[in-house]
Amino acid sequence: MTVADRSVTDLVDRAAALLPEQGPLQAFVHHNTLHAFEHLPFGDAVTEAAAVFGTEPYLSEAEFHRHLRSGRITPGDLDAVVADEVVDDGGQIVPGGPTPRRFHELRLRHHVEVPRGPALHWLLAETDAVDAVDPRWDLLRAVGPAPEPQAVSARPRDRVLAATGVDPDHLAHPLLIRFTAAFLDQGVAYWAMPVREDGLLAAFRALYGRAGGPPDPFLRGLPGCLRGQDGWTAERTIHWALRELGVAREDWSEVVTATLLSLRGWAGMVRQFEHRPDRAPVEARPARLADYLAVQLTLDVFAARHVRATAEPVADVPARPELEPVYEAFVLARLMDVPLTDTGQAAAWLAACTRCDEVERRRLLHLAYERRHRVGVLDGLAAHQALSADPGVPRFQAVFCLDEREESLRRHLEECCPSVETFGFAGFFGVAMNYRGVDDVRSRPLCPVVVTPRHAVVEQPLHPGRTRRSARARWTRAVSTGSRTLARGGVFSVALGAAGLASLVGRCLFPRAAHRWEHRSHAEAPPTRLVMEFSVAEMADIVSTVLRTTGLSRGLAPVVLIVGHGSSSLNNPHESAHDCGATGGGRGGPNARAFAAMANDPAVRAELAERGLVIPEGTWFVGGYHNTCDDTMTYYDEDLVPAGHAEPLRRAENALAQACVLAAHERCRRFESAPPDLALADALAHAETHAVDLGQPRPEYGHATNAVCVVGRRRRTRGLFLDRRAFLASYDPDCDTDDALLTSLLLAVGPVCAGINLEYYFSFVDPAGYGCGTKLPHNITGLIGVMDGHASDLRTGLPWQMVEIHEPVRLLLVVEAAPERLAAILAAHPNLDRLVSGGWIQLVAWDRDAMHVYARGAFRPHVPERTAFPVVARSAEVYAGSRDHLGCAHVLTRVDVPVPVS
Amino acid sequence: MNGILVAAAAVPFGVFLLLGAASWLGVPLTERVVSALVVASAGVSAALLATTVRSGPVEVVVGTWFHGFPLVLRADWLSVPVGVLAALLGALIGAFSRRYLHRDPGFRRFHVLLALFVAGVQLVVLAGTPDLLVVGWELTGLASALLIAFFHQRRGPVAHGLRAFITYRVCDVGLVGAVVVVHHGGPPLAVGLLLLWGSMGKAAQFPLGGWLPRAMEGPTPSSAICYGAISVSLGPYLLLRTHDLWAGAPALPVVIAVVGGVTAVHATLVGRTQTDIKTTLAYASSTQIGLVLVEIGLGWEVFALVHLLGHAAVRSAQVLRSPSLLHDHHHLEQALGEPVTRSGGGWSRVTPRPVRLWLYRFALERGYLDAVVVDHAVGRFARLVRRFAAADERWVRRWEVAR
Repeated sequence: MTVADRSVTDLVDRAAALLPEQGPLQAFVHHNTLHAFEHLPFGDAVTEAAAVFGTEPYLSEAEFHRHLRSGRITPGDLDAVVADEVVDDGGQIVPGGPTPRRFHELRLRHHVEVPRGPALHWLLAETDAVDAVDPRWDLLRAVGPAPEPQAVSARPRDRVLAATGVDPDHLAHPLLIRFTAAFLDQGVAYWAMPVREDGLLAAFRALYGRAGGPPDPFLRGLPGCLRGQDGWTAERTIHWALRELGVAREDWSEVVTATLLSLRGWAGMVRQFEHRPDRAPVEARPARLADYLAVQLTLDVFAARHVRATAEPVADVPARPELEPVYEAFVLARLMDVPLTDTGQAAAWLAACTRCDEVERRRLLHLAYERRHRVGVLDGLAAHQALSADPGVPRFQAVFCLDEREESLRRHLEECCPSVETFGFAGFFGVAMNYRGVDDVRSRPLCPVVVTPRHAVVEQPLHPGRTRRSARARWTRAVSTGSRTLARGGVFSVALGAAGLASLVGRCLFPRAAHRWEHRSHAEAPPTRLVMEFSVAEMADIVSTVLRTTGLSRGLAPVVLIVGHGSSSLNNPHESAHDCGATGGGRGGPNARAFAAMANDPAVRAELAERGLVIPEGTWFVGGYHNTCDDTMTYYDEDLVPAGHAEPLRRAENALAQACVLAAHERCRRFESAPPDLALADALAHAETHAVDLGQPRPEYGHATNAVCVVGRRRRTRGLFLDRRAFLASYDPDCDTDDALLTSLLLAVGPVCAGINLEYYFSFVDPAGYGCGTKLPHNITGLIGVMDGHASDLRTGLPWQMVEIHEPVRLLLVVEAAPERLAAILAAHPNLDRLVSGGWIQLVAWDRDAMHVYARGAFRPHVPERTAFPVVARSAEVYAGSRDHLGCAHVLTRVDVPVPVS
Repeated sequence: MNGILVAAAAVPFGVFLLLGAASWLGVPLTERVVSALVVASAGVSAALLATTVRSGPVEVVVGTWFHGFPLVLRADWLSVPVGVLAALLGALIGAFSRRYLHRDPGFRRFHVLLALFVAGVQLVVLAGTPDLLVVGWELTGLASALLIAFFHQRRGPVAHGLRAFITYRVCDVGLVGAVVVVHHGGPPLAVGLLLLWGSMGKAAQFPLGGWLPRAMEGPTPSSAICYGAISVSLGPYLLLRTHDLWAGAPALPVVIAVVGGVTAVHATLVGRTQTDIKTTLAYASSTQIGLVLVEIGLGWEVFALVHLLGHAAVRSAQVLRSPSLLHDHHHLEQALGEPVTRSGGGWSRVTPRPVRLWLYRFALERGYLDAVVVDHAVGRFARLVRRFAAADERWVRRWEVAR
């Protein structure tokens, strides 16, 4: 590799950092959309990213003002945020005008709509929006900014577009999309691309370097050019293309970045295949981003050349003075009744107005929006401490994933069965494994993405040699591929027309019944066992970590359920985004099962006893799986349960089944398809219909409600209605003498929950720029992702239907620990510190009854605003009839007469 | 009988007008009401048509448009099955879309267009005269182009909707020409060729099918009914319906079969390399419609009808299921107990490498049709027009100066 090659590789690597990090959709892993900007504070990062990607940093101002009107943001929040954020020496901006703080307080309360460009010129010329005799207008105009020439980017495409009005990308992109999709395809196309084993660039040369190619006028000369470059490295081609495009050396970095970002979904996917070939759903491809860039730049050369040669230049439009800031300052001067007597004052006023520009206002409004939520939750938690009661000796215990969707299931379980104790732990339960189920074709990692599993776990049938469902599957495959071909397609069309119509009638009119009919023959699965590669010591480590972190080790009940979760739905390319994040976008049932098997293993128990952690003889662990989409439960290895535990287990399962109904009922209130007075008996059916309906773009709302994470003892939150909005990780400070458990817990929980939370934040504030827009026209391509309709960029992020009810607030991480302990952990772990100090999460230390909010490098005490919350006997009383987010409430099952407190 | 047939054609249209008027006047309607109206109108239309089966073929003269242009509706072996299926699919897709488009800002617009589409199709199907058929034909074309451009905030859908619209308009020249020639008693071959031209756009036949994969820009249900099923089927239907007009030209069946055959081979080749599910299904539709045309050319009319209807049902079910591809692929693998092997491996063994590469690129680039048709034919035509315009300008200037 020459020096020049290495410099190009550096350019590609630097640009690649900005590409979306989303892999193929089969295993969706939530992550911070702006991971490349994490070294910056949140406020700077969103602004900078908005400039790079052309996206929105926060909700729009209009949206925030809607929240102001509805009371979601209160004037008190605005004033508190301004007091915190705006420096004020008490002096007026201009004589007779407001102080900077007062200015901001007023400014944030008023939404001044400033028309842009020609609309403003029209407004000024044709209406009396500006009073001609008001001297302030002329003063402000006199000091208004001079028109600035539009900055032209260095990317040749932008220059050609500006000069001719024709976009060369419209020529180059379709071919690039088609070609890249075919290269990466995992099995949609009937014919595989023939020469792709040598890499993307080699395949491009082999296919498009042959004579007799596409007669598109812009591709004239491409075959000869490609033949001439035979044997060139991608880096050399990039070099050549940048020179050919006339890009100055100092602009190379900018051009490479802008070029890759112009189709960032596809470029990012190529990068994912390059770095994580193991994540390819079917087979890896020898993809390299440099190859892709070489192809893109080569096409850019030809497209730009063609457009320059054929399109006529557009006439230059003379720049007009920028009147928007002047108009805004004028309206504000009138609004705040500010006298301006000379140009010095006018300039000072204009500067003050410009400093508080739209992004700054949105930042402040966002802080106020977050503040209202934070205060509500912290006050609720604090108020609950007086009311929470100790449940006594538990009849059974259940460990769930810390996922916020399990909050309602846990709460309802505790309501139905006051003698249960529930816990939350990351849904892989410490078992990092490469898992292969009995039906699975290949194994897949089931653990957080940052962990590389070292052990394989295989599910094997107890009685080998069972028949598979393969005959029917073969028929399905024959129809689905055959119906797309010529002759077989004709036969199938004629023969299966009636079946197609029947399926349409069923799927359109009776989705649930049709789904059950299609799956009628699925018999009970035969018994299986897990074959695990872990050593006894490793298993003992896993079990002891979970038991000690959660506080389970302090007293075990006769039955301990370990419940993993996942989600299964139709009409949902983003299905795996609803699965368990802690298993890397997989389903956590097998992890729960493996954990239970480990904890029941006599050898593991003996080893643990030696370490001083005794699991009583009378305790039995049972693994289970909660499908969060239809709220069903599955239990594993029930045939191994000792006879004495059968009855307690049955009672526990019944309680959990009842809790599932209640949780489904609570969840359905968010679906407008469910009537506000949905009967309890219909809740499960309604949830199931959402899961199996081909016409349902909202199978479940997933993490859309996430906002809070509480790390601490359940005792302190038990009975507090948190509206499925809180990740609940169990942590018992009493078992943790040296902070080791807390540190490892925070290192796992912080980034994972922040990743989920931030992905939802960004997909919500800019559904088209950061999210993947509406689901309705999505088109699955290559089994790796979705496009919008026919041939678009690969869309990354979350679809609007998945996030539409989200409240974009940064994760409020409340940790039951003293501020000093947290400060020490942050100081020792820069990665966590970056998230907290950078403001990517809001950290709160919860020490006994005091709360301390982390801000600007220090913990500051939280001052409660509200101490009384509604008290009810059942959760249903809180949410009945409402579809919106709800505040905290105390659900005290032992209170006979609910005491409503407004 | 008269009333039933007229009602079958008029009910969807009435609902379209009703919803259109409500939208125009800004009457707030809930999703439930909008959807119920559309589903009920299509369902009623299907049911009414189904009842005419017992009474045998009928022709109803509704009145006279103007002299020499009677308004005739016709129910027979051909129009009743197609009409029933089209209206039934309309009702099913309407019911489906109520969930699919729930909360979408364009919910009502979609349903208005769906009602217009069904109304147009019923008019095409039941029309007893070519002129009435043209009216329905235009309405379906308009509705489907607007459905393609449903997400009009983005550039792609609008450009592709426009492309479909232009293709339709170009082919309408053939259809309207055929009607004119029929009225003047022209030769059947001319009528037949013009009708074939008229049907080729909607049926996405070679070389005018480039709009079909691009039409997958709208919401999935509209893709299912328009491009999986009904809209593309109207092309063959037109030829079947007007069989009597061109039966006198023995050369025409050959031409129809050749167009259909070339389309079928081209589309199946191209479809084999497409990597997104909706484009794959679009080319699969094109292939089958081509085959139906071959069957029409061979004179197998009833078989062609059965093929057309069966295909419409199967394909729209597939399009509706397409967003579940990842789910289905995963479960298929599990049920098979092995990776879903890539089909079509045989061709790589029997063809030499250069042929294979050439054929693959040919298919991936969609048979170079876009370049040939759009850039060369249309582009050349556009340049010619521009040259005329420039000459015209020059001539006017000179004349002005001379004066």
